[in-house]
Amino acid sequence: MPKFLHTADWQMGRAFTRFETEDGAALVEARFEAIETLARLANEHHCDAVLVAGDVFDAQTVSDRTIRRVFNATKGFTGPWIMLPGNHDAALAESVWTRAQRLGAVPENVHLALQPGVIDLEPQGLSILCAPLTQRHTYGDLTEPFGGYETPEGFLRIGLAHGSVQGLLPDEIDSTNPIAPERAKASSLDYLALGDWHGTKQIDERTWYSGTPEPERFRNNEAGNALIVDVSGPGATPTVTQLPTGRYQWHQFRETLAVHSDLEQLLERLNALPESAVVDLRLDGSVTLAGEETLLKALSVAEARFRSLRCERSGLQLAPTDEDIAALKADGYVGEVVESLRERQEGAQDDVARDALAILAGLLREREQEVGQ
Amino acid sequence: MKLQRMRIEQLRQFRKPFVLDNLQPGLNLIHGPNESGKSTLVRAIRAAFFERYRSTAVDDLRPWGDSAAAPTIELDFEHDNRAWRLTKSFLQRKRCDLVVGTDTYSEDDAEEKLAELLGYQYPKRGASKAEHWGIPGLLWVEQGTGQDIEQAIEHAGDHLKSALNSMVGEVASSGGDDLIETVRSQRDTLLTGTGKPRGDYQKLEKDRAQYELEIEELKERVHKYQEQVDRLGKLAQEYDQAEAERPWEDAQRQLEEARARYQQVERLEQQQNQEKATLSQLQQNHRLLQQNKEHLEGLSRQLEGRKAELDRAERDLATAEAQTPTIAGRLQEARTAYEQAEKQRKLAGLLQTRQRLEQDVRRLEQQKQVLTQNLAKAKEYHQQLEQARQQARENRIDAELVKKLRATGNQLNEETIRSRTIATRLSWQLDAGASLTLNDESLTGQGEQQLLEESTLVIPGVGTLGITPGGEELASTRRKLKALEEDLEEELKTLGVKSLQQAEDRLSAFESAGRAVKHADELFKSLAPAGLEQLASDHKEADGELEKAKKQLEATPKPDPKENVPALEEAEAAFTRAGTALDKAESDERAHQSSLAALKQARDNAKTEWQRLADEEKSPERQQQLRQITTDLAHIEKQQAELQASLERREREIREARPEFLRQDIERYQNAVNQLRQTQENRGRELRDIKVRLEAWGAEGLEEQLNEKEAEYDQCNRRYQELHRRAQALDLLLNLLTEKRQALTRRLQAPLQKHLNHYLSVLFPEASLEVDEQLRPGTFSRGSELGQITELSFGAREQMGLISRLAYADLLREAGRPTLVILDDTLVHSDSDRLEDMKRILFDAASRHQILLFTCHPEKWQDLGVAPVDIQASKEQGV
Repeated sequence: MPKFLHTADWQMGRAFTRFETEDGAALVEARFEAIETLARLANEHHCDAVLVAGDVFDAQTVSDRTIRRVFNATKGFTGPWIMLPGNHDAALAESVWTRAQRLGAVPENVHLALQPGVIDLEPQGLSILCAPLTQRHTYGDLTEPFGGYETPEGFLRIGLAHGSVQGLLPDEIDSTNPIAPERAKASSLDYLALGDWHGTKQIDERTWYSGTPEPERFRNNEAGNALIVDVSGPGATPTVTQLPTGRYQWHQFRETLAVHSDLEQLLERLNALPESAVVDLRLDGSVTLAGEETLLKALSVAEARFRSLRCERSGLQLAPTDEDIAALKADGYVGEVVESLRERQEGAQDDVARDALAILAGLLREREQEVGQ
Repeated sequence: MKLQRMRIEQLRQFRKPFVLDNLQPGLNLIHGPNESGKSTLVRAIRAAFFERYRSTAVDDLRPWGDSAAAPTIELDFEHDNRAWRLTKSFLQRKRCDLVVGTDTYSEDDAEEKLAELLGYQYPKRGASKAEHWGIPGLLWVEQGTGQDIEQAIEHAGDHLKSALNSMVGEVASSGGDDLIETVRSQRDTLLTGTGKPRGDYQKLEKDRAQYELEIEELKERVHKYQEQVDRLGKLAQEYDQAEAERPWEDAQRQLEEARARYQQVERLEQQQNQEKATLSQLQQNHRLLQQNKEHLEGLSRQLEGRKAELDRAERDLATAEAQTPTIAGRLQEARTAYEQAEKQRKLAGLLQTRQRLEQDVRRLEQQKQVLTQNLAKAKEYHQQLEQARQQARENRIDAELVKKLRATGNQLNEETIRSRTIATRLSWQLDAGASLTLNDESLTGQGEQQLLEESTLVIPGVGTLGITPGGEELASTRRKLKALEEDLEEELKTLGVKSLQQAEDRLSAFESAGRAVKHADELFKSLAPAGLEQLASDHKEADGELEKAKKQLEATPKPDPKENVPALEEAEAAFTRAGTALDKAESDERAHQSSLAALKQARDNAKTEWQRLADEEKSPERQQQLRQITTDLAHIEKQQAELQASLERREREIREARPEFLRQDIERYQNAVNQLRQTQENRGRELRDIKVRLEAWGAEGLEEQLNEKEAEYDQCNRRYQELHRRAQALDLLLNLLTEKRQALTRRLQAPLQKHLNHYLSVLFPEASLEVDEQLRPGTFSRGSELGQITELSFGAREQMGLISRLAYADLLREAGRPTLVILDDTLVHSDSDRLEDMKRILFDAASRHQILLFTCHPEKWQDLGVAPVDIQASKEQGV
């Protein structure tokens, strides 16, 4: 009853732009924790092996520390790990893998599938048919030779590959590194463990993308899982269990504000998110000065609550109401300036005018508060 | 604001207290000569307001040499229906007190209260300067600065605007100016005055560029790294392939094979050379034997040769001898021909001599004949000549005399004829046989006769008849006749003739003889010019020659007429030809003889030689030698043939092995081996180099660095963009606020203009003065004149300055602000007319504002309608 854990696309060594330094560091850290989580799950589920279907590393030249930390993080599971080079960490003449070997960072139980071929795990009765990328891009199907690989009698034939299954994934996915959709069947595989697609995705009953164990983009595609694959024997249909592994959930809201209730709804949705959220807000439409004040307050609260919150408001116009202006006591020529800025903002979608109006409103509000005190 | 009283003490020349009292709400004329303290009073008022009481920069207020002085000013004025008293002491006793109605302010509070009231500001440190003076700077005109209105307005600017706020009512913004200041200060933290980034904004901009640069560098390095990785992959593959295939070993093997083949060829070449040497020796030997053989065989051949030579010599000799008779015959013929030709030539010569002689004879005969005839004729002519000469001698007569005679005869005839006419004519006819005798003359037959003289006619038988001619002339005629007859007679006698006729005949005969002489002489001379004797001699000579020629001819043999004798020339030519032919024949003959002799000699020599060789050839030693040599030669030739066959065979073998290609092959394989090994070594070296390099670079974690750097850049850029947007927004906001604020200012222009026009119409009825956006009097126009106020004369500018200040005072008053106008010795440059107008203006303005006019020329202002205050007098009064 061999059982193994299927994971992929760790992308170790990736740094996160568009985040505050502190948040970026936390997100990086979460990816190391994800490996430890995988090791723990492998133990908990009594897995015979862990198969990593490519892109363990995000780049060839990551720091020595990152390399060492990645392998250190696997220590929790002492069974065999099979790591497959993907397009980000292809097994070139000099690669992150050769460096890892030189550093002596690779534990004995971690098998690096640097050449195409079969790795037989005898005690486990597993034959891993590996299709590593040995070039940055491949335009041929590297799983093609699987059919020709001989495996010992009674061993499961498990394919391990990294690339795009032709015709099933959205067009925007890189069309390099193609994989034939019927590969599992054609090559008499019991299971084909795939990497490259960051969301968990089933291709057929024997072919799966595990997705990345820790999400790293806002695109909502079922990221943050690992697969436990249970195959009762050669030829048997595998039982695949999807387990969540991700620490942070990435959310991206694109909202258009028109009336006050839109803002209220947005704030409710925001409040409903867990603290482990990584949030990206993109707002457009328009908001009153009072509404903006509310929004800014809410965002300030949310920033403190979530792992990360970013809000893009440049598309959101300020629409001061008469009450707004009255409240600001913008009389005389200052009132004229407010009016002029509002017109410019609406007429020419002028970001500068919008910002200027926000600043002016802020200053006036401060003045009112001072007066009020 | 109305100043009511002023008191000063310990201030410059006013060491003692000085009070200026009873100041009027309108115009006040305060005068005093120079040094009287007029300017000190003005200074005191300014110091009271502008200078901080605690200022240390007011030493000028101190009386000269009094270090303990505390200059004090006390001012009482009314404003807003409240009484104000300001007391300010400087230097030794620094104090400031302000009492407004019942309120009391002191020190800084007092000063701030005053500044707010009048609209000016204090210097942060040091003495107060024009830029601090604000509105009073505009209304309080210092001596000689009345025309400098622009500066004053600029310094008053902000104070003016805030002072005038109430005038523009709703357009002014409460706190708008503060807002502008806040915006400006916020903007100025991000942007410089010219809109360039500064502070954090600028730093971020620089950081961003720096990040970009670093990212670019990192990318470049990553790119290089990847290139090196690719190179490594390719190289490793090549290296492994080469190690597996070991192409240099193939090359080495081929090299060795080629070398072995080449050595084989070299061996063959060596053999070839040896055999070639052997062959060469054989050939040498063969050549020597051949020479010997040839030498021996040469005797027989020589003998044959000699025999041939001998035969030839004999043949030649025989041929030559055979020719001998022919040549001798030809010589004989030539001789015969020569002799014949010679004979012919002689004959021809003889014949020619004869012919010549015959011709001579003929010619001489002819000559002789001619001479004979000539001689005969000459003799005849000579005879004729002698006869003619004889004749002439016989008939010689004088021709003149004859002529005379003829004349005489003619005269006589004529006289006779005449006499006959007169003479008696006697005619007669007588019968046959009858005769008569007249004067003794017988008459017969018939006749007639003239009778002049008595005549007697005798008639025979009858008797004598006497006749006597009658007439009277007869006598003279008869005398004449008689004379003539006598002359005639005489002449005839002289001439020896009997009658005229005879004379005539003789003359004719003489003349004819003369001609005959001449003719005969000519003929004679033509035949014998040298005379008859010569001619005869010639004849004789010719005869002699002829005789001689005839003798010669006879002596010359007469050729046989049967013989054909050619002409001499022809004979001569034939002779010459025969001579030549003979010469040739003779020379041929001689040549033939000599040739014959030579041939004989040659034949004899040849014979001797042949004989000698024939003897030698037949010797037995030579026969032996020759046989031996022939055997040896045959042997050598066989050896040679064998060797050559062997050589050719081997040569072919060598050629087929292509030694030059083998050599090239060796070189090529050698190079290939070296190059292949070298390439592989280079690969190995490069592999090691690249590995080392990549290990070093890889350890840097370039892409991770790049990732991090990009994250940093992103943050920096985000912050930059924020500040950028904020800066732009602030800039826009400030511009808008300023614009709107300026628009507000422009709304103040109109009332100011109104007041200005009020005063201007007094000074220049037709003129206008425009107020610009900064509320400054600007363009001045009068009729067709148009220009800036600064272009006017000093006096006019001073006047314009003053009316502008008064207009401002009016504007301020309307806005409920205090106005006090202080003029220190102003309008000194105005002429009396203009001053008159200005007085009207001042008087008018004084109805709205308090005006203090200080002057040292009180006489100019006598007609101002106010009582002047004399400082000097007041001083003395005060004392």
